[in-house]
Amino acid sequence: MMTPQEEQEKLLEEALTVVRTQSFQMKRCLDKSKLMDGLKHASNMLSELRTSLLSPKSYYELYMAISDELCHLETYLLDEFSKGRKVTDLYELVQYAGNIIPRLYLLITVGVVYIKSNELSRKDILKDLVEMCRGVQHPLRGLFLRNYLLQCTKNVLPDAEEDAEGGEVSVMSHAAPRAIAGLNKMVNSSDADAGTVRDSIDFIQLNFAEMNKLWVRMQHQGHSRDREKREQERRELRILVGTNLVRLSQLECVDVEKYKKLVLPGVLEQVVSCKDAIAQEYLMECVIQVFPDEYHLQTLNSFLHACVDLHPDVNIKNVIIALIDRLAQFSRKGDVARTIPMEIQLFDIFSQQISLIIQNRPDMPPEDIVSLQVALINLALKCYPTKLDYVDKVLETTEEIFHRLNLDHLDAASAVSRELARLMKIPIDSYNNVLELLKLEHYGPLMEYFDYQARKSISTHLILNALENETVIPSPEQVEGILNIVGPLVQDQSDQPEIDDEEDFAEEQGYMGRFIHLLSGDTPDQQYLVLSTARKHFGNGGNRRIRHTLPPIVFAAYRLALKYYQLREEDEKWEKKCGKIFQFCHQTIGALMKAELTELPLRLFLQGALVISQLDFENHETVAYEFMSQAFTLYEDEISDSKAQLAAITLIVSTFEKISCFGEENHEPLRTQCTLAASKLLKKPDQCRGVVVCSHMFWSGKSKDRAGKELRDGKRVVECLKKAGRIANQCMDKSVQVQLYVEILNSQIYFYENGCSEIQVSSINELIAKIREDLPNLESNDESDQINKHFANTITHLKIAKLQSSSNFSYDGLDP
Amino acid sequence: MAEIKTEDGKKEKHYLYLDGETISGKVSIKLKKAGTRLEHHGIKVEFVGQIELYYDRGNHHEFTSLVRELARPGELTSNVSYDFEFNQVEKPYESYTGTNVRLRYFLRLTVVKRLSDLVKEQDIVVHTLSHYPDMNSSIKMEVGIEDSLHIEFEYNKSKYHLQDVIVGKIYFILVRIKIRHMELQIIKRETTGIGPNTFNENETIAKFEIMDGAPVRGESIPIRLFLNGYELTPTMRDINKKFSVRYYLNLVLVDEEDRRYFKQQEITVFRKADKVRKSVRNASAKFGSQDVAAHVQSPSSDHTDASSPRYEHNYIAD
Repeated sequence: MMTPQEEQEKLLEEALTVVRTQSFQMKRCLDKSKLMDGLKHASNMLSELRTSLLSPKSYYELYMAISDELCHLETYLLDEFSKGRKVTDLYELVQYAGNIIPRLYLLITVGVVYIKSNELSRKDILKDLVEMCRGVQHPLRGLFLRNYLLQCTKNVLPDAEEDAEGGEVSVMSHAAPRAIAGLNKMVNSSDADAGTVRDSIDFIQLNFAEMNKLWVRMQHQGHSRDREKREQERRELRILVGTNLVRLSQLECVDVEKYKKLVLPGVLEQVVSCKDAIAQEYLMECVIQVFPDEYHLQTLNSFLHACVDLHPDVNIKNVIIALIDRLAQFSRKGDVARTIPMEIQLFDIFSQQISLIIQNRPDMPPEDIVSLQVALINLALKCYPTKLDYVDKVLETTEEIFHRLNLDHLDAASAVSRELARLMKIPIDSYNNVLELLKLEHYGPLMEYFDYQARKSISTHLILNALENETVIPSPEQVEGILNIVGPLVQDQSDQPEIDDEEDFAEEQGYMGRFIHLLSGDTPDQQYLVLSTARKHFGNGGNRRIRHTLPPIVFAAYRLALKYYQLREEDEKWEKKCGKIFQFCHQTIGALMKAELTELPLRLFLQGALVISQLDFENHETVAYEFMSQAFTLYEDEISDSKAQLAAITLIVSTFEKISCFGEENHEPLRTQCTLAASKLLKKPDQCRGVVVCSHMFWSGKSKDRAGKELRDGKRVVECLKKAGRIANQCMDKSVQVQLYVEILNSQIYFYENGCSEIQVSSINELIAKIREDLPNLESNDESDQINKHFANTITHLKIAKLQSSSNFSYDGLDP
Repeated sequence: MAEIKTEDGKKEKHYLYLDGETISGKVSIKLKKAGTRLEHHGIKVEFVGQIELYYDRGNHHEFTSLVRELARPGELTSNVSYDFEFNQVEKPYESYTGTNVRLRYFLRLTVVKRLSDLVKEQDIVVHTLSHYPDMNSSIKMEVGIEDSLHIEFEYNKSKYHLQDVIVGKIYFILVRIKIRHMELQIIKRETTGIGPNTFNENETIAKFEIMDGAPVRGESIPIRLFLNGYELTPTMRDINKKFSVRYYLNLVLVDEEDRRYFKQQEITVFRKADKVRKSVRNASAKFGSQDVAAHVQSPSSDHTDASSPRYEHNYIAD
């Protein structure tokens, strides 16, 4: 058994063998000027095309081989004709062939030779040929025959303007010699005529209509189980039909007017009336591709109107989208001469026709409807970039459709949701300015049709776009608008799923945090409103979100306070405003506290205190004190982990050390509180380190009473260090102990070198000796290595410092 | 000169005459050997038009027979020639060679002798010309098989001359069968005999495919068939009550199961009379016996030929 493919190959090979033999004979006869015999062999060769056994592909190969050979015949005949050896009645003679396929191929070949030898005959001949081809009703054979007709007549189609008077051409033709014997007998027209472009249009359109009919007919042949194969075969053949349209587009005399009045109506009528989805889809796209944009612009209404009438199976969106893309491309080419004429309301036309199409197709899948809207929005954005209302109109229409279809909570994985998301992202990516989106009244409402996942994804896209483009959001209304749109990133949603990927969540909230930095009013007052609005929205974000979103707001508020301070000369109410800002911050941080966060509010309070200390507004000391005390409260009430405690106290102390706004009455209790807290830490090493840190408070801390100068309370410093030493001494772990000694030593050296006269060189020596004594007893491990190194570095420092005498201090008597 | 088929299918060329044309010529009788004598009981030349039915060989039906006496009984001693003329002879029918019947015209020279006559026959060909018919309506007809095939066909004329072209179209009104192809045939029907002894002989002269594949409703298929290439004769109706030759166009549709659907329609074929005929130079045929050679020389019927002004010709010409 042969496979179908092998069988095809065999059949084709057999046919080709006949073709080779017969064409060889044909050429031999022609060489000997035996025309009639030559024609007989040509006819034999052509008889191979009568087969019903070949697949379209094999038939095509056979056709190509034969059409090559026919070229030879044509060349021979042309040559003979040019030498004046005309064969009378040749046009008639070839029509004696009993079988229609060879007859018509020969007739076309001879007809074209006649035309080429005498142009005045062409109008009649073309008309005759295209009519006679009706005899072949077999789809495959007919398609190829007519393709041959199209191919042969390619360069002889009349392409002259029509004569308005209508007289001249035919007058000339009276005098023309009548070359066509045999033709006159069956063509009624008594005047030979070279024809005009009008004749070519008629010719091609008739051929096109017939080919299309044949092509469509293929669909209805054979078993229904072969449907897929048949459709595949039809797709392989479509180019044959499309060539007609290509020919039409190649006629130079077809200008916009002719296209509008003659060409397009004929084509569309044929396309619509054939009622075949494959044909309609292909041919409509063909029309779009082969004719110039300028023509489409002038015929949009009729083209789109035809689209309305297409078969429901036609993937109409592809057709429309192809057209829109072409036109959008067209207007973008930027050439002045190629802009869309003002009088063509491109958008309105498309908009109306598309809604008509949608109305006419109740079964159209919603994703296709959305695809059409996507195309429309692309058109609006590309052709009318300034016309926001066009974009909004599309969104409105889309919303109406969804409302009508009763679609809601579109599953993010569904096609329609994906398509709609595409629609929503286009304005984002096109404007690269999220503020423009706010001008679209229907953008937000349309978002509501998505499910949570999709809404979130679009929101993220929007926010990222703002971040990438650093789009500054300057007004509270705009903040409100955007935050409403990106709701899923701001607040809990009613349709929010229980589980949300923690990492993704953090990432999204991170974007929101960054986004907050884009909120920036033009004036400080405006900025305050902006931040308040943002605060209002983010405040509702729930415990999981506010930790990401409120801190940036607080920081922004601090920045705003600094701004007011800078502008204090211009704004007399600045102090009041600053007070209000810190109240706002206090409240905001309070919200974080309520969310049972500790470290974050602690830091924010400390940061706030630092900022306040720099701003000399009324009451600022009280406010700063409040912030510090809040921090302390948090420390005391909420932090229980000893490591966290040490970290917190270190942070508090270092902040406090930097703050200069406190008078002694506030400074003293805070100082004391810090030292107390440090010495109350649970673990000895923590205590030790805490106390060491506190020592700095007494040295470089500042208070208002000293006009912002450092305290330089050497006595208290020494006390602290001594206390630290004592605590270290109580440590059981030797290596920790030695480490603490080294750290204390370093602090001693720091203060000594900074001019703390209360520190004695002797005490330094003492500590060094103690360390030296203990060090060797340590077990040798990574930890002790590090301690050794630390100590060695310290000693090296001292040795160098000793050599470089300084006015501030002297290491006389140091024994490193 | 014109060609005509002989009974055995070969083609011969003979002088061509039209109805009413004078047939004239010269008979030359040559003696085989100079100095011999030929005794005879008279010499005559006859013009005969006859119909031969092949199944009845014995009976030839002469519908025309004219005699010209050339010489009274006597004796020939030297070569001699006689002019003869049949003035404006009526030749009502066209020469025809068919399957069962032949209609022929010939000149017969008879030298009557005591024992066996010397006879020489010379065929001529007669064409009957017709004017272009006044009435020549098209043939238009709707035919069909209920619920499966319904077509309308149209042939542009009902009467065609021999070099004519049949133009027409087939319009498909209803198609519920899968047609494979369609052809137009020209059928010649030769009818001989009368009454119960009638024989019909059908011959398909042309088979001409006019459609390939299956059309659908609404298709219109063009027909164009040139007649010039086929061997047609004019339609002959009831020639001398002996035979008829009629032509039919047979439209045949063949479906995928090889079933055939057809419709026959008679057309009239005629010989058009608008051409100026040339031709017919003198030529001679020889016949002879042991001792005689006779020669019938036919005339030129070319009226443009100034060298033979004797012969009058009557054309049925327009």
